[in-house]
Amino acid sequence: MDDRSLNLTTSFIDQIVVPGDVVLDLSSMSNQTIKLGGGLRQDCDTISVMKAGKLKFSKPNKYWVESSQKRYVPCVEDTILGTVVDSKADNFLVDIKGPTLAFLPVLAFEGGTRRNIPKYEAGTLLYVRVVKANAGMNPELSCTDASGKAAEFGVLKDGYMFETSTGLSRMLLSSPTCPVLEALGKKLSFEIAIGLNGRVWVNAASPSTVILVSNAIMNSESLSGVQQRIMVEKLMQKFQSSS
Amino acid sequence: MAMEVEGEEMVTPGEVLGKASDVKAGRGAYLAPHNKTVYASLTGRRIVIPPSPASPDQRPTVEVTGHKAYGAVPELGSVVIARVTKVMAKMASADIMCVGPKAVREKFTGIIRQQDVRATEIDKVDMHLSFRPGDIVRASVLSLGDARAYYLSTAKNELGVVSAESIAGATMVPISWTEMQCPLTGQIELRKVAKSGG
Repeated sequence: MDDRSLNLTTSFIDQIVVPGDVVLDLSSMSNQTIKLGGGLRQDCDTISVMKAGKLKFSKPNKYWVESSQKRYVPCVEDTILGTVVDSKADNFLVDIKGPTLAFLPVLAFEGGTRRNIPKYEAGTLLYVRVVKANAGMNPELSCTDASGKAAEFGVLKDGYMFETSTGLSRMLLSSPTCPVLEALGKKLSFEIAIGLNGRVWVNAASPSTVILVSNAIMNSESLSGVQQRIMVEKLMQKFQSSS
Repeated sequence: MAMEVEGEEMVTPGEVLGKASDVKAGRGAYLAPHNKTVYASLTGRRIVIPPSPASPDQRPTVEVTGHKAYGAVPELGSVVIARVTKVMAKMASADIMCVGPKAVREKFTGIIRQQDVRATEIDKVDMHLSFRPGDIVRASVLSLGDARAYYLSTAKNELGVVSAESIAGATMVPISWTEMQCPLTGQIELRKVAKSGG
Protein backbone atom coordinates (compact mmCIF):
# COMPACT_ATOMS: atom_id res chain seq x y z
CA MET A 1 0.00 0.00 0.00
CA ASP A 2 2.76 2.38 0.95
CA ASP A 3 4.77 1.35 -2.07
CA ARG A 4 1.88 2.02 -4.36
CA SER A 5 1.24 5.48 -2.99
CA LEU A 6 4.93 6.34 -3.17
CA ASN A 7 4.86 5.21 -6.75
CA LEU A 8 1.88 7.47 -7.32
CA THR A 9 3.71 10.62 -6.25
CA THR A 10 7.07 9.88 -7.80
CA SER A 11 5.50 8.89 -11.05
CA PHE A 12 3.33 12.00 -11.30
CA ILE A 13 5.84 14.71 -10.45
CA ASP A 14 7.04 16.52 -13.60
CA GLN A 15 4.53 14.53 -15.63
CA ILE A 16 1.58 15.82 -17.57
CA VAL A 17 -1.57 15.40 -15.48
CA VAL A 18 -5.20 15.89 -16.46
CA PRO A 19 -8.22 16.84 -14.34
CA GLY A 20 -9.38 13.91 -12.27
CA ASP A 21 -5.97 12.33 -11.68
CA VAL A 22 -5.43 11.46 -8.04
CA VAL A 23 -1.88 12.40 -7.27
CA LEU A 24 -1.59 12.08 -3.52
CA ASP A 25 -3.19 9.84 -0.95
CA LEU A 26 -3.12 11.61 2.40
CA SER A 27 -4.22 8.63 4.45
CA SER A 28 -1.07 6.72 3.61
CA MET A 29 1.36 9.57 4.17
CA SER A 30 2.87 10.43 7.52
CA ASN A 31 1.57 13.49 9.32
CA GLN A 32 2.98 16.41 7.46
CA THR A 33 1.69 19.70 6.17
CA ILE A 34 1.45 19.89 2.43
CA LYS A 35 1.07 23.16 0.60
CA LEU A 36 -1.14 23.00 -2.46
CA GLY A 37 -0.68 25.53 -5.19
CA GLY A 38 -2.87 26.21 -8.19
CA GLY A 39 -4.58 23.41 -10.05
CA LEU A 40 -4.88 20.99 -7.14
CA ARG A 41 -7.76 20.38 -4.80
CA GLN A 42 -8.35 18.35 -1.69
CA ASP A 43 -11.16 15.79 -1.74
CA CYS A 44 -11.31 14.47 1.82
CA ASP A 45 -8.25 12.21 1.84
CA THR A 46 -6.92 12.54 -1.66
CA ILE A 47 -5.43 15.33 -3.66
CA SER A 48 -6.74 15.45 -7.19
CA VAL A 49 -5.91 17.58 -10.20
CA MET A 50 -8.21 20.33 -11.41
CA LYS A 51 -6.21 21.73 -14.33
CA ALA A 52 -4.32 20.00 -17.10
CA GLY A 53 -0.59 20.65 -16.96
CA LYS A 54 2.65 19.44 -15.43
CA LEU A 55 2.69 18.52 -11.76
CA LYS A 56 5.55 20.26 -9.98
CA PHE A 57 7.01 19.70 -6.56
CA SER A 58 9.36 21.85 -4.57
CA LYS A 59 10.97 20.85 -1.29
CA PRO A 60 9.87 20.45 1.35
CA ASN A 61 6.16 20.21 0.75
CA LYS A 62 4.82 22.34 -2.11
CA TYR A 63 2.85 20.83 -4.98
CA TRP A 64 1.31 22.68 -7.87
CA VAL A 65 0.25 22.26 -11.48
CA GLU A 66 1.91 24.40 -14.12
CA SER A 67 -0.10 24.96 -17.22
CA SER A 68 -0.07 27.39 -20.06
CA GLN A 69 -3.13 28.84 -21.67
CA LYS A 70 -4.19 31.97 -23.48
CA ARG A 71 -6.72 32.99 -20.82
CA TYR A 72 -5.45 34.59 -17.65
CA VAL A 73 -6.79 33.87 -14.15
CA PRO A 74 -6.07 36.90 -11.96
CA CYS A 75 -3.86 36.23 -8.97
CA VAL A 76 -2.74 38.61 -6.21
CA GLU A 77 0.69 40.28 -6.66
CA ASP A 78 0.94 39.43 -10.37
CA THR A 79 2.39 42.14 -12.60
CA ILE A 80 0.39 42.38 -15.79
CA LEU A 81 -0.28 44.51 -18.83
CA GLY A 82 -3.78 45.91 -19.12
CA THR A 83 -5.58 48.09 -21.64
CA VAL A 84 -7.92 50.82 -20.45
CA VAL A 85 -11.47 50.24 -21.67
CA ASP A 86 -13.40 52.94 -19.87
CA SER A 87 -13.13 55.34 -16.96
CA LYS A 88 -15.73 55.78 -14.25
CA ALA A 89 -15.91 58.14 -11.29
CA ASP A 90 -13.67 56.11 -8.98
CA ASN A 91 -12.00 53.55 -11.20
CA PHE A 92 -10.60 52.89 -14.62
CA LEU A 93 -11.98 49.74 -16.20
CA VAL A 94 -9.04 47.74 -17.50
CA ASP A 95 -9.06 44.66 -19.69
CA ILE A 96 -6.54 42.10 -18.44
CA LYS A 97 -7.48 39.08 -20.56
CA GLY A 98 -9.31 37.61 -17.58
CA PRO A 99 -12.89 36.52 -16.98
CA THR A 100 -13.98 40.06 -16.02
CA LEU A 101 -12.70 43.59 -16.39
CA ALA A 102 -10.51 44.81 -13.58
CA PHE A 103 -10.85 48.05 -11.62
CA LEU A 104 -7.90 50.42 -11.30
CA PRO A 105 -8.73 52.99 -8.62
CA VAL A 106 -8.19 56.53 -9.81
CA LEU A 107 -6.01 57.27 -6.78
CA ALA A 108 -3.79 54.18 -7.03
CA PHE A 109 -0.79 56.09 -8.37
CA GLU A 110 2.23 57.51 -6.62
CA GLY A 111 1.24 60.92 -5.29
CA GLY A 112 -2.27 60.45 -6.58
CA THR A 113 -4.84 62.91 -5.26
CA ARG A 114 -8.26 64.00 -6.42
CA ARG A 115 -6.63 66.98 -8.16
CA ASN A 116 -4.17 65.13 -10.41
CA ILE A 117 -6.18 62.21 -11.69
CA PRO A 118 -4.61 60.92 -14.92
CA LYS A 119 -6.74 60.97 -18.04
CA TYR A 120 -6.36 57.74 -19.94
CA GLU A 121 -8.28 57.20 -23.13
CA ALA A 122 -9.53 53.82 -24.25
CA GLY A 123 -6.70 51.65 -25.51
CA THR A 124 -3.95 52.99 -23.26
CA LEU A 125 -1.54 50.23 -22.27
CA LEU A 126 -0.64 50.09 -18.58
CA TYR A 127 1.80 48.02 -16.56
CA VAL A 128 -0.02 47.30 -13.32
CA ARG A 129 -0.02 45.06 -10.28
CA VAL A 130 -2.97 42.97 -9.08
CA VAL A 131 -4.00 43.94 -5.55
CA LYS A 132 -7.16 41.90 -4.99
CA ALA A 133 -8.34 38.92 -6.96
CA ASN A 134 -11.27 36.98 -5.56
CA ALA A 135 -13.53 34.64 -7.46
CA GLY A 136 -16.72 36.37 -8.52
CA MET A 137 -15.48 39.90 -7.86
CA ASN A 138 -13.76 42.21 -10.32
CA PRO A 139 -10.02 42.23 -9.62
CA GLU A 140 -8.50 45.39 -8.22
CA LEU A 141 -5.26 46.77 -9.67
CA SER A 142 -2.71 49.35 -8.66
CA CYS A 143 0.00 51.38 -10.39
CA THR A 144 2.21 51.43 -7.28
CA ASP A 145 4.11 48.71 -5.51
CA ALA A 146 3.24 47.59 -2.01
CA SER A 147 5.03 50.53 -0.41
CA GLY A 148 3.32 53.15 -2.56
CA LYS A 149 6.14 53.97 -4.97
CA ALA A 150 5.64 54.11 -8.72
CA ALA A 151 8.37 51.52 -9.44
CA GLU A 152 8.04 51.21 -13.26
CA PHE A 153 4.24 50.82 -13.15
CA GLY A 154 2.14 53.07 -15.33
CA VAL A 155 1.67 53.92 -18.99
CA LEU A 156 3.76 52.22 -21.68
CA LYS A 157 4.21 54.64 -24.53
CA ASP A 158 4.98 53.73 -28.15
CA GLY A 159 6.27 50.27 -28.80
CA TYR A 160 4.34 47.21 -29.87
CA MET A 161 2.23 44.88 -27.75
CA PHE A 162 1.48 41.29 -28.68
CA GLU A 163 -0.26 38.44 -26.92
CA THR A 164 1.26 35.14 -25.92
CA SER A 165 0.29 32.29 -23.65
CA THR A 166 0.70 32.55 -19.90
CA GLY A 167 3.33 29.82 -19.95
CA LEU A 168 5.56 31.77 -22.32
CA SER A 169 5.28 34.90 -20.14
CA ARG A 170 6.36 32.92 -17.10
CA MET A 171 9.29 31.45 -19.02
CA LEU A 172 10.40 34.91 -20.16
CA LEU A 173 10.28 36.14 -16.58
CA SER A 174 12.15 33.23 -15.07
CA SER A 175 15.57 33.71 -13.57
CA PRO A 176 18.30 33.13 -14.70
CA THR A 177 17.43 35.07 -17.81
CA CYS A 178 15.56 33.17 -20.44
CA PRO A 179 17.93 32.09 -23.29
CA VAL A 180 16.00 33.86 -26.05
CA LEU A 181 16.07 37.19 -24.23
CA GLU A 182 19.72 36.78 -23.36
CA ALA A 183 20.67 36.03 -26.96
CA LEU A 184 18.63 38.94 -28.29
CA GLY A 185 20.01 41.28 -25.66
CA LYS A 186 23.59 40.58 -26.68
CA LYS A 187 23.10 41.93 -30.18
CA LEU A 188 20.16 44.34 -30.04
CA SER A 189 19.01 47.05 -27.68
CA PHE A 190 15.35 47.19 -26.86
CA GLU A 191 12.91 47.72 -23.99
CA ILE A 192 10.55 44.99 -22.99
CA ALA A 193 7.69 44.63 -20.51
CA ILE A 194 6.21 41.22 -19.82
CA GLY A 195 2.81 40.71 -18.25
CA LEU A 196 1.94 37.45 -16.53
CA ASN A 197 -1.43 37.62 -18.25
CA GLY A 198 0.09 36.70 -21.60
CA ARG A 199 0.91 40.15 -22.98
CA VAL A 200 4.37 41.38 -23.99
CA TRP A 201 5.34 44.92 -24.97
CA VAL A 202 8.51 45.65 -26.93
CA ASN A 203 9.97 49.02 -27.80
CA ALA A 204 13.14 49.83 -29.73
CA ALA A 205 14.66 52.61 -31.78
CA SER A 206 13.85 51.06 -35.16
CA PRO A 207 10.75 49.12 -36.21
CA SER A 208 12.81 46.31 -37.66
CA THR A 209 14.33 45.62 -34.25
CA VAL A 210 10.88 45.54 -32.70
CA ILE A 211 9.66 43.06 -35.31
CA LEU A 212 12.74 40.90 -34.93
CA VAL A 213 12.43 40.73 -31.15
CA SER A 214 8.67 40.04 -31.24
CA ASN A 215 9.00 37.27 -33.80
CA ALA A 216 11.88 35.66 -31.91
CA ILE A 217 9.85 35.62 -28.71
CA MET A 218 6.73 34.28 -30.37
CA ASN A 219 8.70 31.45 -31.93
CA SER A 220 10.45 30.44 -28.73
CA GLU A 221 7.61 28.90 -26.78
CA SER A 222 8.18 25.25 -27.51
CA LEU A 223 11.94 25.39 -27.99
CA SER A 224 14.53 24.33 -25.47
CA GLY A 225 17.30 26.69 -24.36
CA VAL A 226 19.79 25.54 -26.97
CA GLN A 227 17.21 25.61 -29.75
CA GLN A 228 16.25 29.15 -28.74
CA ARG A 229 19.85 30.34 -29.08
CA ILE A 230 20.18 28.68 -32.49
CA MET A 231 16.91 30.26 -33.63
CA VAL A 232 18.06 33.70 -32.57
CA GLU A 233 21.43 33.21 -34.33
CA LYS A 234 19.68 32.30 -37.55
CA LEU A 235 17.36 35.30 -37.32
CA MET A 236 20.28 37.64 -36.67
CA GLN A 237 22.22 36.24 -39.62
CA LYS A 238 19.27 36.74 -41.95
CA PHE A 239 18.79 40.21 -40.61
CA GLN A 240 22.47 41.18 -41.01
CA SER A 241 22.70 39.74 -44.48
CA SER A 242 19.61 41.52 -45.73
CA SER A 243 20.28 44.94 -44.19
CA MET B 1 -70.85 53.23 21.49
CA ALA B 2 -67.60 53.19 19.63
CA MET B 3 -67.38 50.01 17.63
CA GLU B 4 -65.30 48.83 14.66
CA VAL B 5 -66.99 50.14 11.60
CA GLU B 6 -66.52 47.70 8.76
CA GLY B 7 -66.57 49.91 5.73
CA GLU B 8 -68.24 48.54 2.68
CA GLU B 9 -66.30 50.97 0.62
CA MET B 10 -63.25 49.86 -1.32
CA VAL B 11 -60.42 52.33 -1.33
CA THR B 12 -57.53 52.53 -3.77
CA PRO B 13 -54.00 53.82 -3.19
CA GLY B 14 -54.01 57.61 -3.04
CA GLU B 15 -57.55 58.03 -1.75
CA VAL B 16 -57.98 60.43 1.10
CA LEU B 17 -58.98 58.68 4.31
CA GLY B 18 -59.11 61.65 6.59
CA LYS B 19 -57.26 64.57 8.06
CA ALA B 20 -54.31 64.02 10.38
CA SER B 21 -56.15 65.87 13.10
CA ASP B 22 -59.05 63.43 12.90
CA VAL B 23 -57.48 60.02 12.30
CA LYS B 24 -54.23 58.18 12.79
CA ALA B 25 -52.65 56.23 9.94
CA GLY B 26 -52.60 52.48 10.55
CA ARG B 27 -51.61 49.60 8.32
CA GLY B 28 -52.19 50.27 4.64
CA ALA B 29 -52.41 54.02 5.16
CA TYR B 30 -49.84 56.75 5.51
CA LEU B 31 -49.62 60.35 6.56
CA ALA B 32 -48.49 62.81 3.90
CA PRO B 33 -46.43 65.37 5.81
CA HIS B 34 -46.91 68.27 3.48
CA ASN B 35 -50.64 68.66 3.83
CA LYS B 36 -51.37 66.58 6.95
CA THR B 37 -53.76 64.21 5.24
CA VAL B 38 -53.98 60.46 5.63
CA TYR B 39 -54.02 58.60 2.33
CA ALA B 40 -54.48 54.89 1.58
CA SER B 41 -51.47 53.00 0.25
CA LEU B 42 -53.16 49.68 -0.57
CA THR B 43 -56.28 48.55 -2.36
CA GLY B 44 -58.81 47.15 0.04
CA ARG B 45 -61.52 47.84 2.57
CA ARG B 46 -61.33 50.74 4.92
CA ILE B 47 -61.51 49.88 8.60
CA VAL B 48 -61.68 52.37 11.45
CA ILE B 49 -60.41 51.16 14.79
CA PRO B 50 -61.47 53.19 17.81
CA PRO B 51 -58.75 54.42 20.12
CA SER B 52 -58.17 52.61 23.39
CA PRO B 53 -59.65 54.66 26.21
CA ALA B 54 -56.38 54.76 28.12
CA SER B 55 -54.30 56.36 25.41
CA PRO B 56 -53.82 60.13 25.49
CA ASP B 57 -54.29 60.41 21.75
CA GLN B 58 -57.99 59.93 21.15
CA ARG B 59 -57.93 59.71 17.39
CA PRO B 60 -59.34 56.57 15.77
CA THR B 61 -56.94 54.56 13.61
CA VAL B 62 -57.89 53.97 10.01
CA GLU B 63 -56.51 50.84 8.32
CA VAL B 64 -56.84 49.33 4.88
CA THR B 65 -56.97 45.56 4.70
CA GLY B 66 -56.01 44.21 1.32
CA HIS B 67 -58.75 42.30 -0.42
CA LYS B 68 -56.30 39.83 -1.83
CA ALA B 69 -53.65 38.13 0.23
CA TYR B 70 -50.16 39.40 -0.32
CA GLY B 71 -46.93 37.96 0.92
CA ALA B 72 -44.66 39.44 3.53
CA VAL B 73 -43.02 42.76 2.73
CA PRO B 74 -39.83 43.90 4.47
CA GLU B 75 -40.49 46.72 6.93
CA LEU B 76 -38.10 49.04 8.68
CA GLY B 77 -36.40 47.12 11.48
CA SER B 78 -37.62 43.68 10.52
CA VAL B 79 -35.19 40.78 10.52
CA VAL B 80 -34.93 39.15 7.11
CA ILE B 81 -33.18 36.06 5.72
CA ALA B 82 -31.43 36.75 2.42
CA ARG B 83 -29.14 34.90 0.04
CA VAL B 84 -26.04 36.80 -1.08
CA THR B 85 -25.93 37.12 -4.88
CA LYS B 86 -22.97 39.37 -5.54
CA VAL B 87 -20.04 40.58 -3.50
CA MET B 88 -18.29 43.76 -4.59
CA ALA B 89 -15.57 45.88 -3.10
CA LYS B 90 -17.81 48.16 -1.08
CA MET B 91 -21.09 46.29 -0.82
CA ALA B 92 -22.86 42.99 -1.25
CA SER B 93 -26.24 42.38 -2.86
CA ALA B 94 -28.63 39.81 -1.54
CA ASP B 95 -32.04 38.43 -2.52
CA ILE B 96 -34.46 38.67 0.41
CA MET B 97 -36.19 35.31 0.88
CA CYS B 98 -38.03 35.55 4.24
CA VAL B 99 -39.30 38.40 6.35
CA GLY B 100 -39.40 37.21 9.94
CA PRO B 101 -40.86 33.69 9.81
CA LYS B 102 -42.78 34.18 6.53
CA ALA B 103 -41.44 33.60 3.04
CA VAL B 104 -41.89 36.37 0.51
CA ARG B 105 -44.03 35.97 -2.58
CA GLU B 106 -42.02 38.18 -4.90
CA LYS B 107 -38.37 39.03 -5.20
CA PHE B 108 -36.90 41.80 -3.08
CA THR B 109 -33.29 42.91 -3.36
CA GLY B 110 -31.20 44.11 -0.47
CA ILE B 111 -27.79 45.75 -0.27
CA ILE B 112 -25.37 45.37 2.62
CA ARG B 113 -22.89 48.23 2.53
CA GLN B 114 -19.35 47.97 3.83
CA GLN B 115 -20.14 50.21 6.81
CA ASP B 116 -23.16 48.12 7.80
CA VAL B 117 -21.46 44.74 7.99
CA ARG B 118 -20.38 45.03 11.60
CA ALA B 119 -20.41 47.52 14.41
CA THR B 120 -16.67 47.90 15.06
CA GLU B 121 -13.82 49.00 12.72
CA ILE B 122 -16.21 49.58 9.86
CA ASP B 123 -13.63 51.08 7.51
CA LYS B 124 -11.41 48.01 7.66
CA VAL B 125 -14.11 45.59 6.56
CA ASP B 126 -13.16 43.34 3.64
CA MET B 127 -16.39 42.36 1.91
CA HIS B 128 -14.86 39.17 0.54
CA LEU B 129 -13.92 38.02 4.05
CA SER B 130 -17.45 38.68 5.32
CA PHE B 131 -19.72 37.22 2.64
CA ARG B 132 -19.49 35.07 -0.46
CA PRO B 133 -22.06 34.56 -3.22
CA GLY B 134 -24.51 31.88 -2.12
CA ASP B 135 -24.31 32.49 1.63
CA ILE B 136 -27.54 32.69 3.62
CA VAL B 137 -27.49 35.69 5.93
CA ARG B 138 -29.76 37.06 8.62
CA ALA B 139 -29.95 40.84 8.40
CA SER B 140 -32.13 43.64 9.62
CA VAL B 141 -33.70 46.22 7.34
CA LEU B 142 -32.00 49.59 7.84
CA SER B 143 -34.10 51.57 5.44
CA LEU B 144 -36.39 51.15 2.50
CA GLY B 145 -33.53 52.39 0.34
CA ASP B 146 -34.07 53.34 -3.26
CA ALA B 147 -36.12 51.87 -6.09
CA ARG B 148 -33.60 49.11 -6.63
CA ALA B 149 -32.93 47.69 -3.18
CA TYR B 150 -33.52 47.78 0.54
CA TYR B 151 -30.56 48.66 2.75
CA LEU B 152 -29.72 45.82 5.13
CA SER B 153 -27.41 45.65 8.10
CA THR B 154 -25.63 42.76 9.82
CA ALA B 155 -24.08 44.92 12.52
CA LYS B 156 -25.24 42.88 15.49
CA ASN B 157 -24.01 39.68 17.08
CA GLU B 158 -27.03 37.66 16.06
CA LEU B 159 -26.94 38.93 12.48
CA GLY B 160 -24.65 37.67 9.76
CA VAL B 161 -23.98 34.47 7.84
CA VAL B 162 -26.22 31.67 9.01
CA SER B 163 -25.32 28.99 6.51
CA ALA B 164 -22.58 28.82 3.90
CA GLU B 165 -21.03 26.29 1.56
CA SER B 166 -17.31 25.74 1.48
CA ILE B 167 -15.22 25.59 -1.71
CA ALA B 168 -15.36 21.81 -1.46
CA GLY B 169 -19.17 21.92 -1.50
CA ALA B 170 -20.02 20.99 2.10
CA THR B 171 -22.10 23.04 4.54
CA MET B 172 -19.66 24.71 6.89
CA VAL B 173 -19.72 24.68 10.67
CA PRO B 174 -19.31 28.04 12.48
CA ILE B 175 -16.33 28.25 14.79
CA SER B 176 -16.24 31.89 15.87
CA TRP B 177 -17.81 35.13 14.78
CA THR B 178 -15.30 35.36 11.94
CA GLU B 179 -14.58 31.77 10.95
CA MET B 180 -16.40 28.75 9.55
CA GLN B 181 -14.85 25.37 8.94
CA CYS B 182 -15.53 22.83 6.20
CA PRO B 183 -16.22 19.35 7.63
CA LEU B 184 -14.80 17.54 4.59
CA THR B 185 -11.44 19.24 4.20
CA GLY B 186 -10.97 21.08 7.48
CA GLN B 187 -10.33 24.36 5.69
CA ILE B 188 -11.29 27.49 7.55
CA GLU B 189 -13.02 30.25 5.65
CA LEU B 190 -13.67 33.75 6.88
CA ARG B 191 -17.21 35.08 7.13
CA LYS B 192 -19.16 37.46 9.36
CA VAL B 193 -20.96 34.70 11.26
CA ALA B 194 -24.25 35.15 13.11
CA LYS B 195 -24.35 34.05 16.73
CA SER B 196 -26.99 31.37 16.97
CA GLY B 197 -28.80 30.07 20.02
CA GLY B 198 -29.19 31.89 23.30
